[in-house]
Amino acid sequence: MGKTQYWKGLDELSNSPEFVQKAENEFAEQLPLEDFLGDNNLAQNNGTNRRDFLKFLGFSVTAASLAACETPVNKALPYVVRPEEITPGVANWYASTYFDGNDYSAILVKTREGRPIKIEGNELSKVSMGGTNARIQASILSLYDSSRLTGPTANETPVTWAISDKEIINKLTAISAKGGNIRILSSTIISPSTKSVLSDFTAKYPTTKLVTYDAVSYAGITSANELTFGKAVIPSYNFAEAEVVVSIAADFLANWLSPMEYARQYAALRRVSKSHAKMSKHFHFESNLSLTGANSDEREPIKVSEQGKVAVNLYNAVAKLTGRSALSSSALACDATIANAAKELVENKGKSLVIAGSNDTNVQLIVNGINQLLENYGKTIDIENPSNLHQGNDASFAELVNEMNAGKIDAVIYYNTNPVYTAPASLKFADAMKKVKLNISFADRSDETSRYANYIFPDHHYLESWNDFNPRKGHYSLSQPTISPLFAQPRNEGTRQAQESLLLWAGISTDYHKYIQNVWSATVFPMQGKYMMFAEFWNNSLHDGAIEVATGEEKALAENSKDDKKKETKKKEDKKEEAKVVAKVDLGAVAQKVNSVKGGTFELALYEKVAIGNGNQANNPWLQELPDPITKITWDNYVTMSPADMEGKYLLMKRQDREASVVNVTVNGVTVKLPVVPQPGQAKGTVGIALGYGRDRAGLLSTQVGVVGQNVFPFIGVENGTLNYGSLDVKIEAANETTEIAGTQVHHTMMGREIVRVTSLEDYKKDPTAGNHPEMLHTNSGAVNPNTIDLWNEHDKLGHRWGMTIDLNSCIGCGSCVVSCTAENNVAVVGKKMVMNTREMHWLRIDRYYSTNWPSEVAEAREKASEKGVGIKDMYMDMENPAVENPKVVFQPIMCQHCNHAPCETVCPVLATNHSSDGLNAMAYNRCVGTRYCANNCPFKVRRFNWFNYNGNSDFKFNPTQDDLGRMVLNPDVVVRSRGVMEKCSMCVQRIQAGKLEAKKAERKLVDGDIKLACAQACPTNAIVFGDLNDDNSAIAQLRKTDERNYFILEEIGIKPTVSYLTKVRNCELEVPEKTEVKTAEKA
Amino acid sequence: MDTRFNKSQKQKSVIFSVLLFAFLFNINFVSAQDGEKLFKQNCAVCHSVGKNKVVGPGLEGVTSRVPSEEWMAKWIKNNSAVIKSGDAYAKKILAENNGMQMTVFASLSDADIKALIAYIKNPPVVVAPVAQTGAGQEEAEKVINPLAIILGVVALLIILISILRGLTFSLKNVQNEKHGLPLERKQGAWTELKAWMGAHKRSVALIVIFALGGFLSAAWDGLMGIGVYQGYKPSQPIAFSHKIHAGDNAINCQYCHSGVERSKTAGIPSVNVCMNCHKGISKGPITGTKEIAKIYAAAGWDPDKGAYTKPQQPIIWTKVHNLPDFVFFSHQQHVKVGKQQCATCHGDLTTMTIAQQFTPMTMGWCINCHRTTEVPGMKDNPYYESLHKKLSEKYKGQPITVDKMGGIECAKCHY
Repeated sequence: MGKTQYWKGLDELSNSPEFVQKAENEFAEQLPLEDFLGDNNLAQNNGTNRRDFLKFLGFSVTAASLAACETPVNKALPYVVRPEEITPGVANWYASTYFDGNDYSAILVKTREGRPIKIEGNELSKVSMGGTNARIQASILSLYDSSRLTGPTANETPVTWAISDKEIINKLTAISAKGGNIRILSSTIISPSTKSVLSDFTAKYPTTKLVTYDAVSYAGITSANELTFGKAVIPSYNFAEAEVVVSIAADFLANWLSPMEYARQYAALRRVSKSHAKMSKHFHFESNLSLTGANSDEREPIKVSEQGKVAVNLYNAVAKLTGRSALSSSALACDATIANAAKELVENKGKSLVIAGSNDTNVQLIVNGINQLLENYGKTIDIENPSNLHQGNDASFAELVNEMNAGKIDAVIYYNTNPVYTAPASLKFADAMKKVKLNISFADRSDETSRYANYIFPDHHYLESWNDFNPRKGHYSLSQPTISPLFAQPRNEGTRQAQESLLLWAGISTDYHKYIQNVWSATVFPMQGKYMMFAEFWNNSLHDGAIEVATGEEKALAENSKDDKKKETKKKEDKKEEAKVVAKVDLGAVAQKVNSVKGGTFELALYEKVAIGNGNQANNPWLQELPDPITKITWDNYVTMSPADMEGKYLLMKRQDREASVVNVTVNGVTVKLPVVPQPGQAKGTVGIALGYGRDRAGLLSTQVGVVGQNVFPFIGVENGTLNYGSLDVKIEAANETTEIAGTQVHHTMMGREIVRVTSLEDYKKDPTAGNHPEMLHTNSGAVNPNTIDLWNEHDKLGHRWGMTIDLNSCIGCGSCVVSCTAENNVAVVGKKMVMNTREMHWLRIDRYYSTNWPSEVAEAREKASEKGVGIKDMYMDMENPAVENPKVVFQPIMCQHCNHAPCETVCPVLATNHSSDGLNAMAYNRCVGTRYCANNCPFKVRRFNWFNYNGNSDFKFNPTQDDLGRMVLNPDVVVRSRGVMEKCSMCVQRIQAGKLEAKKAERKLVDGDIKLACAQACPTNAIVFGDLNDDNSAIAQLRKTDERNYFILEEIGIKPTVSYLTKVRNCELEVPEKTEVKTAEKA
Repeated sequence: MDTRFNKSQKQKSVIFSVLLFAFLFNINFVSAQDGEKLFKQNCAVCHSVGKNKVVGPGLEGVTSRVPSEEWMAKWIKNNSAVIKSGDAYAKKILAENNGMQMTVFASLSDADIKALIAYIKNPPVVVAPVAQTGAGQEEAEKVINPLAIILGVVALLIILISILRGLTFSLKNVQNEKHGLPLERKQGAWTELKAWMGAHKRSVALIVIFALGGFLSAAWDGLMGIGVYQGYKPSQPIAFSHKIHAGDNAINCQYCHSGVERSKTAGIPSVNVCMNCHKGISKGPITGTKEIAKIYAAAGWDPDKGAYTKPQQPIIWTKVHNLPDFVFFSHQQHVKVGKQQCATCHGDLTTMTIAQQFTPMTMGWCINCHRTTEVPGMKDNPYYESLHKKLSEKYKGQPITVDKMGGIECAKCHY
């Protein structure tokens, strides 16, 4: 038997001297006050001396007492005519929808005094199911972005709407009169009304064509489905029914297609309990260690060039088990896992799912073939009710660029797209753009593309707009303005909704709100049978935000001219056609093509981070500061490389959270300089780089902190008509320099304690307490559970007693909660430099631990080591090195644990932190004097100290609180902390108080679920349960009583935390057989 | 030296220190028993010292109405006990006030009640408020600084001492001359003082201690007053009178401050609320049309045409009550759930021409109220049902005040 040990980073595992020193000095860094006093003279004169100090002291005392003597005169401005629905001090909620061309989610927007301050998921939507991700949570801040244009510009000079509209209409009319080509280049449009607007526009200017281009494209799936089924669509996947999931590099929990929906469905199948000791099995093959790979049961690192081969081998393995003919194949190192996966898949025919992240049509064809063998269509894959997201067509985009270069295009209108930044280098989009006489952009800022445009007509932010969405057949949702446009007359020329501009140019004067109503009354309204009157239907749809209509009727409407019989026959014909098309695809030939792919020495896999995505919100400091879930690095992109490869190249591996070697990465003749970080789990011979960075015209952030990271969109290749997000020929050269990187993780050590408890499903079935054994205290009466020994008295059980439990099996580590917490609690952004000083302010962090297999016979190994003359440290290094190549990963959200016997409370000299009767560890900022004793005494390191006045210090200009517009995002119910005070998770006490007050006002008991914390609300997988422990009927009280997986971190030190965790259960073996261990050890 | 002389000096110094002692302590003593303050804190919400009835009867000449002052003391302390005892006069009062019972003031001491009755008997003469013209002026209450009084007395004593000293000196020399003794040389006051201080170390120490004590207590009072704006009465853009609206015209507070039961802020009414009445009322009793014209200007109302024709302009009021940013205070919690009266914190606005901060609104003041106030409506509100039961078991017989259910914990107001 072995013991699984988790560690946080390579530094901890290797226990390097630097790391040990740093761990010991965690808080002992010298204060770089000199940098911040700002007075260069003082700094030159050897710093502040005693006399200066006394001068400052004297001045500040006088100033403070003078200031205190004067009555502050505060003004109050009530409304002249108060809108009926607004009561100052009371939040209004509006249902709306987020869609940026990539992520879709039905949301609820919380507004206070007419300004949106928080976004939460809308549970009524069957598509997003109440889930939000970090980007959607952070989009509220993008509304208050001072980089947005406040009015239209022509060649970078402000113009008026009236004049420019006239000019545009004249120019467009002239172009269409001479038969010149007009193109609208847009990211995916899923709005029926916008499509209708475009057709109206085309009616006026008949030479117009829409080209859909997504920065991150899924065209490979669309074209594969066209070849297999004759339908160029992206199907709806149902992970809720998929007992076995095999993903070949599809990061479906973070980015792939519709991640929030998949995450919720996926997590539901992975929730285990005593009565339901069953969970789905997830195989993952990939090059980079992705969030999804980190959550999988069986993960195999593969090279980028092997993606297709894995698919083919999996096809063959499934075919073998189902008695079909095999394709030509090549042997792979991971064939054993593939055989395992095939076995599980075949056992779960129709309840499984095979997906691939590759944008290569051939790979997707094979995957379609596997799913057909497994009879998944119509069960876990619904191709009849396809998703409308990601309609990007790479081929037509490439064609457009060719036409532009050839001078065939007279005008291009850019909507919600930034091709100069996102297009592959080989397409040279900026040059093509210059050959077009009229470039019109609807971008909200002068970004990489719109800077070259003749006109920029800034669009409203989505929170200022009307729009409708049809994310999937039969599903509709609306977005409505939650604030009147920030930039409007008379102060600015103002922004205008793109659709209204297009309508105006098409000569239609209906405003877009009315226009949507017209479209809905003609199309969506007839599809439903619930409401008789359109007004009623409209109001209810707007109220709910998302609606579902019968899909059959949608089809009927599309063909309403034909009678039923014709339809029937057509359906049959369709099916016949499908069959024919399927027959056409020769998988053998496809497999040959796939097998002929030759790998290079280094292969590149481009990926999206959960925070930055494709970079359209790169100006959002909340997202820049959100650590990557795997590397835990903020404010940068970088090259991830296998540690083994790095050793070969003599690259810097120590202090990986602070300093990194720089390499020159060359792909397709484009060279980019990036830091390189060791990534356990990265397939050997591959590197990963995140897209979405290096935006030099994202907005003010690029001037305040410089351009963040490097743009690697130019690395994208164009092959077989699709964009290829990998490259098989990468040159990597050490640049012989190092650079600073800011990681948040390695500075908290685990000290060998069982902070994360893990078990396997098999063990859990045998014993629900498996893996969850508390440390025992040895007393004179034998071993005792430390919870039973207490120095203090129990707390009274009066009133409420709040508690929180986090299911480590459900948590996927996506970071949505972190951004939600930041938005809810006015958490400051500190910037890269302060993160490097371990001063990030996040109240909630997600710790990531890698696992490795502890050797089975430690004593034996020690003996051997002493024979060899190897030290204990080196022995562990030797034994664990091989496992480092593919570690298992766990995520653990850590916030203040609200200990009932909190160590922080006893050391505060001013009683600024103390315990409330409802079990919260309260923090009174106005009482705190900043001794930081509490942080030193906190075993979880969750207390954050305000080293600087992030809200006023000019070194932190990027902080939203330092901007007149940005300040509007602040939650007025939570105080903005200033310099010198400690802060930490308050368990959203403002929400608790508000929830209680609602119950008191309504004169009823508080019901479980009345209060939802910001983190719990944002969680796409419902991993966080919060409630009243004193209420026997609450979910959390039940769970604490009955779930054997429940445990408290560090309970052995007697602090009695309020937050508990549920053991993580893996659907795989935890130990590696001893033989393998010995072998690998010898290898090393 | 003459011993008699010494003795007389000793007597003088003792008299002086006793005077100073009595004086210093008297200030504190009186202020603790200030009947007016007690009245304002406890009674003014429902009673006036004049004839007019507010909630309860006006108290002018009440001592001659009631059976005895002892009876009145009992009544103030616990009126329900007096009623229960079957007292005839108590029943009569109850009937006169439609059976509405007075609050029980168990926390008042006998001394407090004495001071209260003394105050009610001889209330200060209320000068009718002078009508304010134009924007209301800031009118600070004229309070004589206790430090000034002390300094005045000390100065007076010094003058007295120096006169007496001169007098004794002249008299002594007259006597010496008479007896043919050598004349005393006139010594400098400072030398003599030093000599005197050397001879009376104990008295000097006593004086210094008292002086220091006086200074520190004054300084402490001064420091504690920083940031406390009780009585703050800022000028407002419109000379709005709460007395006319809430007092004379008896408009309910919530008509204008409608958020009080729904929101954390009671809210300053928007101009359209003013216009509900002022469409018809264009002339006020004191300022005529002048101030109401400002509302019209803000609302864009043209009184001649009777229509909203002009551009609107919000009124920029000056906030009277300013809580620091780090305090969360909710009106709905106190008014809707806690069933508190507006006047408890804001005073009797029906008598205020210019709104002012009536209470200190310091944290001590909040806590004090939370420590002494029983939670009204707790028994009837199902939300509190189990909590009330548990608390009643824990604090058998004691009143369940806000602090007993966690109402003075940091995180209830600071987050």
